[in-house]
Order: sequence, then C-alpha cells, then structure tokens
Amino acid sequence: MVSGNMSGHHSTWPEWVYVGVVIALLCYVGAEAWNIERIVEHVPADAEIIKVVGQQWLWTFEHEDGTKEIGELHLEKGKAYKFEVTSKDVVHSFNIHDFTVLMDAVPGRVNTVWFSPTETGEFPIQCREYCGLIHYNMRGTLYVENGV
Amino acid sequence: MMKVIFGLALVLSLLVILPSIEYVLAAGDEPGEYLDRRVEIWGLFYRLMIVAFTVGTVVSGMIVWLVLRFRESNPKAKPTEYEADGKW
Repeated sequence: MVSGNMSGHHSTWPEWVYVGVVIALLCYVGAEAWNIERIVEHVPADAEIIKVVGQQWLWTFEHEDGTKEIGELHLEKGKAYKFEVTSKDVVHSFNIHDFTVLMDAVPGRVNTVWFSPTETGEFPIQCREYCGLIHYNMRGTLYVENGV
Repeated sequence: MMKVIFGLALVLSLLVILPSIEYVLAAGDEPGEYLDRRVEIWGLFYRLMIVAFTVGTVVSGMIVWLVLRFRESNPKAKPTEYEADGKW
C-alpha cells in the first residue's frame, strides 16, 4: 500500500477486503480440519482393541481374546476396531489405504487409530514409513468378513 | 527493544496457549459415533481443495491482470509523477 503523502489519497478498501477474505478462508480451513480430526478421533465405546506391533519387516496383530495373527488380520464388517499401534525396533507406519487408516508405529509409544470396515473383501496392509532394506515388502492383508 | 519483547511474548504465548487449547478441546474420553473415515477425510480434502484452487485462481488472476495492465506498453499506461518529471 502506498502512503497518502507519496501519490495523493487513494482508497485502500480492496486491500482490506483482500486481507479479510484471506483471514476468513484461513479460519474456515483451520476450523474445518480441526472439526473433522475431532470427529474422526472419537472412538465408539464398543470398539474392539487390537494391538498392532510393527517390526522389521512384518506386522503382528493381537485381538482382545488373545488370538494372534502375523501378516494378516481378520475383521468383521460393521464392527468398530481400535488399533493400539507400537513398534519393536524402528519407526514404522501402519497403513490400510482402502480405509484411510494411517498411524505411526513408534518404539516405546502406543498410538491409537480406529475404524469400522464398511465392506467385505481383501485389502492390503502396508508400512508407510521407510524402515530399512525390506520396507517395500512389509505388507499384510486385511480380510473383512461378514459377522456371524 | 519493546518490539523484541512484544514479539518474544507473542511467540511464547502462542507456544503455551495453542497447545493448551488443543489439550482442552481435542478428542476426550467420551465415546464417538460410528462413521466412515473415508467419507469424512476425503470430504475434508475436497472442500479444502476447493478453497485452495479458488485462492490460487484469484491470486494468479490478479497477478496476470497487474502485469498486463501496468506494463509500459499498455496504451492506457501513464508515467508516474517521478517518471514524468524526471525527479526522484
């Protein structure tokens, strides 16, 4: 903005409208993102807890009833599952791409993420954080089946 | 000096206040509802992309207009008073 004593008087309202619109958009973006994050993070009360452990280079899963699975995970459609994700060695990232599930697996720390499968089928599980030589093959399979 | 103190206070308050708000308002222990993460997350993504592309269009359009309107060769161009008088 040019000050008045350099080029005479001129209106500055377009600048203020511009600034106002930018601030409004930033507020909208921040509020919307925060709200969705808040909604997505709230876990349903009846969610089954599944312990997920990442290690070079495989995923281990433990259900609430003690059942363990390595490299594959069997879940029921329509139920809620809360993953407690951790790692035994280096940082990994637990990812089920088809259900937008993504959470870092960090040694000494338990991170949580929940989801509810909405369709049956086989879906790939993968590591999304480079974790060493065989990172590319640190995969698993999610089997979603109809409940009994 | 006052500016430095004010700036420092602002940064410190942001460092303290924002995490506090986050702590107070973030997901608590109360149970949530069943939802499809894909719908929520991709919906958010598309809404924010609308904002991003709208802003990008307005800003780049304004830059293009400015460059064309205020180029020297524009027939409507007028020299500034400095250029006209040769005084700086």
